[in-house]
Amino acid sequence: MPEVLVVDDSKVMRDMVVACLRPYPGLTFTHASSGLEAIERLSLQPYDLLVLDLNMPDIGGIEVVEFVRSQDRLRNLPIIIVTTRGDEASRARALAVGANRFMTKPFTPDAILAEARALLEEKRG
Amino acid sequence: MTGSVDLADFLPAYLAEAEELLGAAQRHLLAVEASVRRGLAHPRAVRELFRALHTIKGLSAMVDVESIVSIAHWMETSLRHSDRAGGRLPESSVEPLMEGLREIEQRVRQLAAGKPVTPVPAGLLERLEALEAAALGTDPAKPAPVALELDATVSARLSAAEREQLTVGAAGKRAVRLDFIPGAERASSGITINSVRERVAKLAEAVKVLPLSGPAAGGGSLTFVLLLLTDATDDALLEAAGGPPASVRALTAAPAVPAAPIVTTEPELEAVVARVEEEPEEQRRGGGTLRVEVSRLDEALERLAALVVNRSRLTRAVAALTAAGAPTRELTAILQENGRQLRDMRAAIIRLRMVKVADVLERLPLLVRGLRRSTGKAVRLELEVGDAELDKAVADRLLPALVHLVRNAVDHALELPEERRAAGKPEEGLVRLACHGGASGLLELSVTDDGRGVDAEAVARRAGVPVPATSDGLLDVLCRPGFSTRDAATSTSGRGMGMDIVRRITVDQLGGELRLETRPGQGTTFRLRVPLTITLLDALIFECAGLRYAVAVGSVEELIDVDAARLTRPAGASGVVLVERRGSAVPLLSLERLLERGSPDGQRGGTGAKALIVRQRGEPVAFAVDRLLGQQEIVLRPLEDPLVRVPGVAGATDLGDGQPTLVLDLAALGAARSGNGRRERAT
Repeated sequence: MPEVLVVDDSKVMRDMVVACLRPYPGLTFTHASSGLEAIERLSLQPYDLLVLDLNMPDIGGIEVVEFVRSQDRLRNLPIIIVTTRGDEASRARALAVGANRFMTKPFTPDAILAEARALLEEKRG
Repeated sequence: MTGSVDLADFLPAYLAEAEELLGAAQRHLLAVEASVRRGLAHPRAVRELFRALHTIKGLSAMVDVESIVSIAHWMETSLRHSDRAGGRLPESSVEPLMEGLREIEQRVRQLAAGKPVTPVPAGLLERLEALEAAALGTDPAKPAPVALELDATVSARLSAAEREQLTVGAAGKRAVRLDFIPGAERASSGITINSVRERVAKLAEAVKVLPLSGPAAGGGSLTFVLLLLTDATDDALLEAAGGPPASVRALTAAPAVPAAPIVTTEPELEAVVARVEEEPEEQRRGGGTLRVEVSRLDEALERLAALVVNRSRLTRAVAALTAAGAPTRELTAILQENGRQLRDMRAAIIRLRMVKVADVLERLPLLVRGLRRSTGKAVRLELEVGDAELDKAVADRLLPALVHLVRNAVDHALELPEERRAAGKPEEGLVRLACHGGASGLLELSVTDDGRGVDAEAVARRAGVPVPATSDGLLDVLCRPGFSTRDAATSTSGRGMGMDIVRRITVDQLGGELRLETRPGQGTTFRLRVPLTITLLDALIFECAGLRYAVAVGSVEELIDVDAARLTRPAGASGVVLVERRGSAVPLLSLERLLERGSPDGQRGGTGAKALIVRQRGEPVAFAVDRLLGQQEIVLRPLEDPLVRVPGVAGATDLGDGQPTLVLDLAALGAARSGNGRRERAT
């Protein structure tokens, strides 16, 4: 059962992401409402996919990605960034620190589902 | 599987969250403005405001509300520059940002009302865009030369603004580093970074929180480093982080300036007000809370009401068994227990509807700010509401009354600054809203001003009545409908318009009390006492023998027309009238006679033009009424006086005309009467 960690300080946004990914069979979802909580959860338990907002209190998505990639254990964890900050610089920065996909809000349910499917299947090998 | 998700389904949740975010944004902008006026930066509020707008923008993009996305975007852009300038914002930026928030709010309301969203008003985006340049021109910060004792890994990850905050802030507050090491065991006992962060927020301002990986105390591999500005002791902070292996250490050497409160230049009260303005969000946000639509709670209450009805059927059935000699002692005991449980359950559900008074009043600072600008008066608003809570249904009704009182206080009671100076008062007027839970389910609120007081003679003159001898009498005059509309110059009376609405809400709708205390030249206090909870129900309003009554919609099975030609009066059953309903005969009771309102000759009426069908012990009974007036939601006020408690009368309500209207419980009314009928039959 692939475990997805959905990180966003907006509950509505987390619910939307979960609803979008729901059609993929067998996924289970964990919510984190802050970047700090995401890092805490990632340090305690393995996940198969991380869906991450950029703009959050205390520490943002970029710092979460940097943390994830600094950990041996998490080096291969697929990360989808979901953000309103659609500018090229943000995209380049997120991909440079190690995010796998970068999605700008608004996105369609199908678009994020397709990205998640590709990453999960790639990971399964 | 494509198209199975429609993001439009998230609109209600979007609206709720957008409202919450707007509330937070307004609070932060007010806090920023308060700082700007004192010439200070407020980096945290700027950042929080930025974040709220950013989230609004993202959510609005997902549900496709382009105009909100644009407004939020340009507000956000101007704030990003302010953030880079260490949280400084030119005073001229505040108004366009306020305007932006108002415009977003207006569009959220339009969406909520199902109306089309209006496009962005002309010039707004340009005004917001112009702020960007203005913000760029502001003076950069001059960090105070205080050395921070930080290791290189942490130090390297601080921005200039954060460093400045820690060093400058260190003059008044201590800068400390709190290390928290998360763990599975700690998480299982509820000590997580979120809970620690929330507890710490009450003790300190977090300038930066960083994750550090690597061996940590207590065998962990991850440390969260919280860099804080605080007045709290190390022990208190350590406890907030769940005790060791967490640790606390100071970031600066013992401050050169003795930590005397002389450093704060602003007067104490102002600091208190600033705190009121800045405080709420960390306490409100955060885990452990759940947002639920009120209609769902009401549904739970309705389900519970069905259970209660069922229980009384059960009670009757058991009573019948007992009467027949069956061994029912245990059953009776269980029933009693069950009754207690149902009452507890009802209380628990009602508690779910309680909201914090502080949350209800969160828009008041914004209102007062607007009044400050429109009247040119200097006003300070103090809210002393503590942790008091109130049923949401009461709060929703009460808020307009409180808004009215606060508005009147600023508009009419407070004098202009020069007038106040001449009277030997401080130029800044005070409006204070305080509340505390009183005895027996009542909440007491007061709205006090230190203005000119109500001039009873002027009020009497205007109303064309003798000067009232008591403050209650004065209040009566003030609360006459349309009192102040006679004269635009209400400011001479000290109190203005719409007091009738305040009284209507407080007394007639909520069944509370409204009192007035006023002293010429010193100020006025309005005291309100309202019930903590009320019962709402959907009611049918009808007329019978010239009076209006209400009855719960849920209790009425059907409404029928009564055709006088098709009534039957069976022989031998004195006074019984039957009405035909879908082929079967239903007893028709005269509501007029049941309520003992029959005309003296006793002959008139009785059959009415319409009838309400109600089930009573499973059998339909028709109640004749004269005319149906409509359906509306009413506030049910129980009749508390035991002398007027009558079977068949559930309580009273105000339909908006200021007159009490009885709310009938037809099933009970019929039962009381047919109880008599049965006795007759038995003899």
